[in-house]
Amino acid sequence: MVAMLRCPAARLTLGWNGAVSKWALILLACVGMLSRAWAQAPQVHYRHRGVTPPGAIGSWQLQRGGPLQGYFQPVEIQAPPGTRISLAEHGRFDEPLAAPRLVGLLIAPVYRFRVTHIPLNEGVEVFPTVEVIDRLYPPAGQAWRFPIPVELTQQEIEMALDGKFVTRIIYLEDPAQALPAASDPRDPTLGSRAPTTTPWFDVAPGENPVQVADSLGRPVAILRMGGRIPLEEPGGADGQPCDSPPFLNYAAPVIPVKAERAKP
Amino acid sequence: MNGPAWPRWWRLLVVGAATIILCSCRSHDQLDPFAQQHATATQPDAGDSARTAPSSQPCLAGNTGDAAPTGSISGPPPLPFQVAGPWAPPGLSQPWPEDEYLRDGGDRGLPSAVARDWRVDGLEPEDTVAHFDTLEGDVVVEPSNTVYIYAPRFAAVRSVTGALLNQQVAAPADTITPLQVVRVDDLQTPESRLQNTQAVNQLGRKRASGFRTKFQDGIMAVTLMAEGFHDSFSGFENISVITHGVFEQADAPRLLEGVQAAITWTHNAAVQVVIEGMPALTVVGDARAQATFHATKIPTSPKLRVIKVASTAFAQPGDTVDFTIRFDNVGDALIGNVTIVDNLTTRLEYVPESGQASIEGQLFTERNEGQSLVLRFEVADPLPPGQGGILRFRCRVR
Repeated sequence: MVAMLRCPAARLTLGWNGAVSKWALILLACVGMLSRAWAQAPQVHYRHRGVTPPGAIGSWQLQRGGPLQGYFQPVEIQAPPGTRISLAEHGRFDEPLAAPRLVGLLIAPVYRFRVTHIPLNEGVEVFPTVEVIDRLYPPAGQAWRFPIPVELTQQEIEMALDGKFVTRIIYLEDPAQALPAASDPRDPTLGSRAPTTTPWFDVAPGENPVQVADSLGRPVAILRMGGRIPLEEPGGADGQPCDSPPFLNYAAPVIPVKAERAKP
Repeated sequence: MNGPAWPRWWRLLVVGAATIILCSCRSHDQLDPFAQQHATATQPDAGDSARTAPSSQPCLAGNTGDAAPTGSISGPPPLPFQVAGPWAPPGLSQPWPEDEYLRDGGDRGLPSAVARDWRVDGLEPEDTVAHFDTLEGDVVVEPSNTVYIYAPRFAAVRSVTGALLNQQVAAPADTITPLQVVRVDDLQTPESRLQNTQAVNQLGRKRASGFRTKFQDGIMAVTLMAEGFHDSFSGFENISVITHGVFEQADAPRLLEGVQAAITWTHNAAVQVVIEGMPALTVVGDARAQATFHATKIPTSPKLRVIKVASTAFAQPGDTVDFTIRFDNVGDALIGNVTIVDNLTTRLEYVPESGQASIEGQLFTERNEGQSLVLRFEVADPLPPGQGGILRFRCRVR
């Protein structure tokens, strides 16, 4: 028994039977469910690369949804002792403060800052950028105690001064894949790497650092640093940045000084 | 063999359904998770009592709890996200996300079992279980509760490229793309919906009512003096269930802050059956000269309660965390060969010589696959009903 299904537009006649129609319906249902499975895919960055333009990964991350927009993620910018760091604010760099500097940055905007007073390189400046692409979910009131560490090592600063371009993907380790090595900066066994608080490693040439970080944990920030001085851009003047997204400046706690009582 | 053609309405229905399925937008759910959460919170769920009590939910003016989710935003200007508390995707258990927490305790994955040579199979890293022998010769495994410590650890991947690629990355044409951020800032209005997550926070306060069924355990336990310890009870241990073995409901909110003990207590409460006062059954035959007395053996119900607490709920790499495990025989029979096994996770490093116990026993350490240690404490003497002990040790967060 063959059911005839006619297409009125093309006047085509197709022969169908009951089994074919059932399988067609099952196939359509599978396709529909497959679309739901795609929607539950893990939030990884396999399509992103380390050379993706600054700000692009963060913008895509915002479009994925979640409580990212408007959240100021605490970030601690670490640098060798003596180094001073200033962030772009209202079209110019603010007052240079000694590293480390604790600030709150929005997800996706590209923050440019100026690094001066570099040890053994006095008078030289570098202008790295930081892009926060994900946030943390700490217990209430503990956000500032667990900032994302963005570290500028002496070696990387000197690489940038030599004309290299350094891309550092900071990621949150998956506890199930965490290395047993200690990462405590107070650990004396770390030796010469004691100032380094974030363990890191170089990816192989041609390897995508974003994808490597994705496989080991959850990428949360990208540091880019080169030796170039930012070009003058529309809206900026004398090399000052034109794009200065808002940030929160967590100042160091001020310890009140007890006033001496006047002796009677 | 020809048959009757399908009716026109049926063909149109199939084509329409296929079109709807294929044209469904997969990105809608991810772009608007707050509307999803709002819809979840406003729909009463019989299985979740916290969601059925919206009357006490704080909400913004112009956004009542009974209002259906709408696309328009009214009322006061949007508040910062921190006001709404921690966010989590609907349907995921807390805490979330798990990659920011260290987990210790419980019996994850395959259930643990004790082999004939006392090897514990199915003991994954992070698991904490206790096993004992019953008078009937059975070996029973009881997991502890789970303790979560917020301790995120970061690492970095570095890529160093030459000047040629550097120019490509920092080219002025590329720097135009951050302008998209300005456009995204205009979409910040949905923040005002974040108040709806307040309803999720109510879940934690509802759990305390589940502990009311556990008073009989406290009655059967006894106070443990800190005789075997080098010092007195610490601040985080100063709760009745740890010091005296008596669970008081007033301690429930405090326990919930640091431990996830609901499973352990409710599990034990569910199986505690006290059979007492059962008289011997007397069978008397009228036509016989003797009386036959038939006694039925009362089945025992051996149980061990294992509670684990940590000294802190958050720690930085390098910090030390004190763990305290309180175990009590809350059954009605003698148990022997009581052994506490804690398989430490990779990021927890046992501090040597930090183990203390309130009762006599031996503490062994053994390497595990996570480059950490398996702590094994064997209680020397059998535990009669109502007796217990405390095991305390210190770990360093890697």
